[in-house]
Amino acid sequence: MSGGLDLEQRYRRVLRLLPRYYREQWEDDMVAAFLDSWVSGDPDDDEWALEFGKPTPSDVASVAGLAARLYLGGAGISRRYFAWGQAIRRAVLAVILVHAVLALDVLVRIAWSRRVFGLPAPPASLVAAAPGGVWPTVFYLVNVAWIVIFVALALGHYRTARVLAALAIVAGLVALAQAQVTGIMPAPFGSWAWWVLFNCVPVLAMATFDAGAPPAARWPWLLALPAGYMLVIVPQLMAAATGNYAWVPDVAGQCCLLVALACLAHLPRAWSRRAGGSGVWSLTLALLAALAAAYRLVTLSDYVHDPHLINVSLAELLILVAAAALVTPDAARTQIASPAPPPQSQPG
Amino acid sequence: MAGKPMTGQAFFVLTALAGGPRHGYGIVGEVAELSGGRVWLKIGSLYGVLDRLAAEGLIEPDREEAHDGRMRRYYRLTRDGRRALAEEAEVHAAAARVVRARLGLTGPAAAGAAG
Repeated sequence: MSGGLDLEQRYRRVLRLLPRYYREQWEDDMVAAFLDSWVSGDPDDDEWALEFGKPTPSDVASVAGLAARLYLGGAGISRRYFAWGQAIRRAVLAVILVHAVLALDVLVRIAWSRRVFGLPAPPASLVAAAPGGVWPTVFYLVNVAWIVIFVALALGHYRTARVLAALAIVAGLVALAQAQVTGIMPAPFGSWAWWVLFNCVPVLAMATFDAGAPPAARWPWLLALPAGYMLVIVPQLMAAATGNYAWVPDVAGQCCLLVALACLAHLPRAWSRRAGGSGVWSLTLALLAALAAAYRLVTLSDYVHDPHLINVSLAELLILVAAAALVTPDAARTQIASPAPPPQSQPG
Repeated sequence: MAGKPMTGQAFFVLTALAGGPRHGYGIVGEVAELSGGRVWLKIGSLYGVLDRLAAEGLIEPDREEAHDGRMRRYYRLTRDGRRALAEEAEVHAAAARVVRARLGLTGPAAAGAAG
């Protein structure tokens, strides 16, 4: 029955998508069930099917879906993969938080410029022009959507967050392409890198927010939005109002410095032998550091005309790498020592 | 059993095992029959569900049997699995009674809802 081995081998090849530990436990069982599903009882048909049959796209998709859950899902999976899944989910929340804080900045500036609630007029340097025209309006609406996406994600409405985020990145892509075509994009590498690294990547990674994944700590994440605004945006507004905005790093630089600060703040836990479960945060910070470093590197190409800005950018990168290196050992230990996945309240 | 509701796939798999131990593809066939052909589990999906149900202690391996040169592993409901399935069935039944009552349908189910 060499033909049977052909279909079996093809399916076993598909099953290589699954983690080794899982295959050791379930592979033979899955193969037996799969081959059973191909057998009709007619010897000729069965011989043909077992020799020439191939797993269908839906067979492959179901195994791929299982693999995604096992690598990045929640309860019931290996500790190592659980840690990776948790770290990716936290990193996604952190990136969406950045979007939400920036969106809040846009909203506040527009409201202030329009003197909503009888606010006094803002300094001239902080006046935000109301969006005019279709594409600027789209850009502003997309910005506001990130606040909704962040809140939906923090509250556990994953499907809503994913749908809105998919729409947001498509709208962002259209606005970006329009800016590129009309030549109004000041820094093309940085803008496209932002869209790829901070829009597409986290939105794709939102697939890990699904069944079995433990929910995020709701209130700390929600409170991080106003806290982020107060700690990051307000100092910038003050710098702009006092004519010192030139001292404020660009967005890539801010990302580097913020992640570096977060690494340093996390250091006591990462280095403490008593702090159980710190490794997932270390892994999260390592992921964010990689993202920020990639963004910083790409945006260097926008400063080729200015050696001073290149030096400043490299210094930011160096600070980030040094800070991330301090938590990396703890992140590496997570691979073998992360806390056990909590039990699920319900199966399925 | 507070928490997220049981998925349709998990419900049908548990129901399939309520009739006795079954192997992987046996569960697929039983689920298809129970659902009137609406639910046809792919093998990857089936083992995703079995893995979670086993982790929850709702099912467990029963035995292994050789068939055409391959080992088939059979699964059975645990006591917790039987209890979880009964509770879920009651949730479905209660929902059905409410719907029938709202629709003004007659019959024992509607009478039960009124009572």
